[in-house]
Amino acid sequence: MGLVVNGILIVHHETNSVHHSFFHFISHSKTFEKIINPIQMELAIQNVSKKYKKNKYGLKDFSLTIEKGILGLLGPNGAGKSTLLKMIATINKPTEGVICLNKNNIVKDPDYMRQQLGFLPQDFGVYPNLNAIEFLSYIAAMKGVGGLGLKQKINRLLEGLNLNDVAQKPIGSYSGGMKQRIGIAQVLLNDPKVVIFDEPTVGLDPEERVQFRNLISDLANDCVVILSSHIVSDIDSIADKVAVMKDGGLMAYHNPDELIALVNGMVYETMISKEELPEFKSNHLVVSTSRKGAQIAVRYITRNGNQPTHRKKANLEDAYLYLTKKHRA
Amino acid sequence: MKHFTILIKYDFVKRIRSYTFLITLCASLAIAYTFVPAPGACYSTISISDYVGEYNSAWLGYVSAMMSSILLSLMGFYLVNGEIQKDKSTRVGQIMAATQIRNSKYLFAKVISNFLLLLTILGIIFSMNIALFFMYGHDYSFELVHFIKPYLVLTVPAIFFIAVLSLVFEVVFGKYTILQNVVFFFCFTSLLVYKPKTELGFALDVFGDKIVANHLEEKVSILNGSDQQERLNIGYTINKGNANKKFTFSGFNFPTSFLVSRILWVCLGFVLILGITPLFHRFNIQAAPANDKKLKNSLESKFSKGNITLNNLPTIKPNFGILPLVKMEMLMLLRKGKRWLWSVNILGMGALCFLPMDIAHKIVLPILWFLQVHRLSDLMTKDKAHDVHYLSSSSKSPIKRLLNAQLIAAIILLSVLSSPLVIRQILILNNVLAAVSILLGSVFLVLLSALMGLVSKGKKLFELTFFLMTYANINAISFLDYFGGLKIGISQSLTIIALCSVILPLVYIMRNWNLKRS
Repeated sequence: MGLVVNGILIVHHETNSVHHSFFHFISHSKTFEKIINPIQMELAIQNVSKKYKKNKYGLKDFSLTIEKGILGLLGPNGAGKSTLLKMIATINKPTEGVICLNKNNIVKDPDYMRQQLGFLPQDFGVYPNLNAIEFLSYIAAMKGVGGLGLKQKINRLLEGLNLNDVAQKPIGSYSGGMKQRIGIAQVLLNDPKVVIFDEPTVGLDPEERVQFRNLISDLANDCVVILSSHIVSDIDSIADKVAVMKDGGLMAYHNPDELIALVNGMVYETMISKEELPEFKSNHLVVSTSRKGAQIAVRYITRNGNQPTHRKKANLEDAYLYLTKKHRA
Repeated sequence: MKHFTILIKYDFVKRIRSYTFLITLCASLAIAYTFVPAPGACYSTISISDYVGEYNSAWLGYVSAMMSSILLSLMGFYLVNGEIQKDKSTRVGQIMAATQIRNSKYLFAKVISNFLLLLTILGIIFSMNIALFFMYGHDYSFELVHFIKPYLVLTVPAIFFIAVLSLVFEVVFGKYTILQNVVFFFCFTSLLVYKPKTELGFALDVFGDKIVANHLEEKVSILNGSDQQERLNIGYTINKGNANKKFTFSGFNFPTSFLVSRILWVCLGFVLILGITPLFHRFNIQAAPANDKKLKNSLESKFSKGNITLNNLPTIKPNFGILPLVKMEMLMLLRKGKRWLWSVNILGMGALCFLPMDIAHKIVLPILWFLQVHRLSDLMTKDKAHDVHYLSSSSKSPIKRLLNAQLIAAIILLSVLSSPLVIRQILILNNVLAAVSILLGSVFLVLLSALMGLVSKGKKLFELTFFLMTYANINAISFLDYFGGLKIGISQSLTIIALCSVILPLVYIMRNWNLKRS
């Protein structure tokens, strides 16, 4: 028997006591982990449920193992994305199940996660009467980071996010996009190993979104990045894996190409009149519509391959809609 | 008109469904129960010299109406204040601003909704007092008119005016909440000590209780055969063993001029609302100053013009000590409110240095601490109010580090403000116990603000309690002396220590509970 860590095979004997103590050491010694395995990351969500009321679940028996890279989290409103993210961020505790980061149960030991976490919540707010430097210093103090490099790091982050000129102004006077950039800066303060972005591109314009996607890609070299968004194109271009959630459960977990393959050959486009649209919508899973003169171009998904219309190349948005509204296809 | 009533209805519904309102209702019931002391109780609420009325309908009705008029005016202001700000923070205001509704209509709807809210509480108090009559007034017949009349003439116009005043203050003083509190405090206390003797004087009394008080004083003076008019004591007074004499009060006929004045107060309310309408911002309060070049440039500039290279960022060290957090919490406390308001604090500290010790300790210190009400009231709720709570909840050891830092920072602030007095007590009077009492008072106040913030999940409960406490302290009601201003002694210090020992674990439990439910 052996254990492979970063390509190193660690061999050990089958003796029961040795076996037990060795694995105990492996799973509990953070020092050991830091010495031999500074960059391996594994976030395991095992049979996690969040029960609110009797038979009312926010999340039900949810399991997923996430490794280094970018996980895109997709799902309609009420799918349980925010509930899951809050549990990973140790804000909420699951009613059942465990969440382990590098085999440390973060439900029991939330501080293990908190030391390595960068979290940008959906409803990110600021203290308006502090300036950017003060606010980031405050968040740094909360995260427990300091030292001589802190001031320099804050300055570099503000410079990198083009907020240097207004660093001394109260954040209350910032625009929505600038506040969002402050949110991104606070994520990076503590060199996080697990980064959670919940709807991060809200308030950013298209140009900024591209820049932000580049930043996430850089981050993913060393971290587990979880990116929840309603904008499928944000996830499409950068996610290594995509998890689709619905009704508190996991519908699919694949890389984007595998997900798209699920709807290959099922996406069509046709031209219909405005009057026909309501009936067409009630009979088909419509992905999108666009006006083309007096006619309407309708992109739709169907499992019935015998269609008198143009077949189209499938994309992630088609796959997402198919998975969440499968019954209508 | 239909739209107007719908506006009022849902504004009212929104407010009575709040947690704060539930707490206020419970508190109102408890307070109303104390308005008429039980026979043989060790305190009195209204007495003239050593006289109190027989517990008939008239006495209970008028006494409770007078007490309600004063206390509900005080409580009511804090309860209904800040509604425009709430519309701003929930961003409902912006939606409203984009509709056809006129500013005056919006403000009137707010006033009526404020008034209905206070009227609901008044209804509860009224019912409680009728219940008290059946508990205490066995020997007398129940006369509903003696309950309805004083409430209608005294209390209803008073609470309407308060409903108007809270909105007027919010529009006029805008975001300067501390100014609203301070100005109201001075208006309230001035009105309370106002002693009119003429019809015009009575008409100018918004609470309306002075005319009844004068009548009761005259009645007791006649009973005593005294040439000098006896003084009516209103408020909670401990009877120090002297048995109160009884007299029969059978109601009071309000002069027409007084009745007209009550209607005029209501009319003045409407005029005031019309008067402040041009000053209402209609949620057009975007703060971005157009003349700030740097900010303007940055608003136009993009994130994409910057460039973050993650590998080049300086390395940082873990620092899980509490000191940086205390420092930052201190900074936030200091930053709260406008800078020029600090000159008032410095003046207060100066007064603590130079005024006679008695005045400095009994009056200046509680007022100086009360001026920090906006800093203390959201000590535990500011992260939620500003949507920073997810960050604080997911920070390392939020209870052990953040909560402690918040408490320590606030205690340091109050201690620094009171330091001139503490130093004087130690160096000049050699009174270490008094100094300890002051410091314990600061700890108690901070813990109380934390607990009330956590329980009510808002600021108002503490603001109201702190106001009542300060009012009681200035009026030498020793029961609420938490800083040794009225009685310095080991027992007072031990009482505060005991209270702190009870509150502190409750604060930890509540904070932990809130964190789990965030």
